[in-house]
Amino acid sequence: MTKIKSYYDGLVLGAGIAGMQAALDLAGQGFEVLLVDREPSIGGVMVGLNKVFPTLDCSSCICTPRMAEAAHSERIKLLTYTELIAARKQDQGFAVKLRKKPRYVVEEDCIGCSKCELACNYYTGHDFDCGLGARPAIYIPHGNAIPQVPVLDPDSCMFDGNCARVCPTNCIDFTQQAEEIEVTAGAIIVATGLKLSAMDAKKEYGGHEYPNVMNPLAMERVQSSNGPYGHILRPSDGKIPHSIAYVQCAGSRDKSIGVPYCSRVCCMYALKQAIMIRHQLHDAEVTIYHMDIRAFGKGYEQFYRRAVAEGVKVVKAKVARISEVENQDLNLRVELIDEGGRVADIRHDLVVLSLGTMPGWRPGGALPIEIDEDGFITIPEMATRPANSSVDGIFVAGVATGPKDIPDAIVEAGAAAMEAAMYLDRTRSHEAVPA
Amino acid sequence: MSVSTRDWRADLKVFRERMGGLSEEKKAWAKAQRQTLKAISDALKQGPMTIPQISAAAHLPSPDVIWHVMAMKRYGKIAEAGQSGDYYLYQLREEA
Repeated sequence: MTKIKSYYDGLVLGAGIAGMQAALDLAGQGFEVLLVDREPSIGGVMVGLNKVFPTLDCSSCICTPRMAEAAHSERIKLLTYTELIAARKQDQGFAVKLRKKPRYVVEEDCIGCSKCELACNYYTGHDFDCGLGARPAIYIPHGNAIPQVPVLDPDSCMFDGNCARVCPTNCIDFTQQAEEIEVTAGAIIVATGLKLSAMDAKKEYGGHEYPNVMNPLAMERVQSSNGPYGHILRPSDGKIPHSIAYVQCAGSRDKSIGVPYCSRVCCMYALKQAIMIRHQLHDAEVTIYHMDIRAFGKGYEQFYRRAVAEGVKVVKAKVARISEVENQDLNLRVELIDEGGRVADIRHDLVVLSLGTMPGWRPGGALPIEIDEDGFITIPEMATRPANSSVDGIFVAGVATGPKDIPDAIVEAGAAAMEAAMYLDRTRSHEAVPA
Repeated sequence: MSVSTRDWRADLKVFRERMGGLSEEKKAWAKAQRQTLKAISDALKQGPMTIPQISAAAHLPSPDVIWHVMAMKRYGKIAEAGQSGDYYLYQLREEA
């Protein structure tokens, strides 16, 4: 049974970088916060990234201190592996119903020793490594996970009991079931992040078919020292690639796949990954095929110029089709715009599709807020109140309102926390409510 | 460190039933995985190999081989053993 208070000043949905920042900012002002994430660890997408642009700082080195701060804050209660069922506005705040999925591990008893993980003999694709790496049926989500508590996946469990047999605290609890939790929250901040558009949205690119066509998050993991391979290798045969292509706008700016908008970050992450490839594989040729490079943020134009100076080829071209040829190499049929539209067939070892950014969660009926046609949360007064949803008391931060980079998501999280704090002060005195 | 007194063996029986037991599909998946891991281990008994070499020796598709080799590497059964051309070499760990 999860120990939880009946009232929190703020409920933050999503514990990625924006959600954590909003929770920390609210807690820093003296408010009690319930930070909820549907995954078994906090950290969101950012904790799985290799580097951030344009500074090339280590992503997890920025993210993990915030994760630790959120976990250790006396005013923040973490609820991982938990989803929102519904939140309904009432006289005082919101009546919130949550569903905590079973980990089959008693969090309070687990010491994070990993013995259960090492005792399990069956492997399946690990979502954290975009399926390129493996995990057993019971596993700690990743090295930086908070909490460092395993989760058991019944779908890949062979029910042999090896995990429980080696557990020093006998904390594997096969009787756990999903738990419904009801709380009241004074205000809600939605920071539910992003997901990528589907790899098979454009069938002509073969993302669903060819092992050497990757998505950009998979490339982040491949580039990470704690990634599935420990080196940059091709998923088909472990070859060190010498020629890597990026196909821009492979899931954005395309009405035919339902993503007409620009995803805003693809140009920059492609440039970042291209630079990192050149740093790790000095003789590798990296080509970015693009419609136009959108380097809109502070220092981004310089970053683009740096990539070009470091040998990244940036080619204005439209990729029509990707086909697999011998040795699982890939042939790209491209229209070279700067060469009068000449059509060329160019061979690469590995291709990364710069997929579109889509909302990571759609509220459906769970939250009474308006949603834009593209699925992002509607902000009625974007110019003056960029963190306020259509419902008073529900605020939004990060990619939940639209594609954006990490600095913008963090700034917006601060704005959402400030708006929530002002709302709480306006509607009630938080000190007057008993814990 | 406190140790819970729960009877995990009894709980596991109930859990297994609640999850619909061990399906034939799951048994077949587990068997196939055991065979793949064994085929890779057997191939590597000849010495360090690249992914294409393991693939040829074990008669397995190379995408399957790299995925399982990386799983074995992650969980301590295989280690890298230098490089051969464009490929890393892998070998069984002695204690594995």
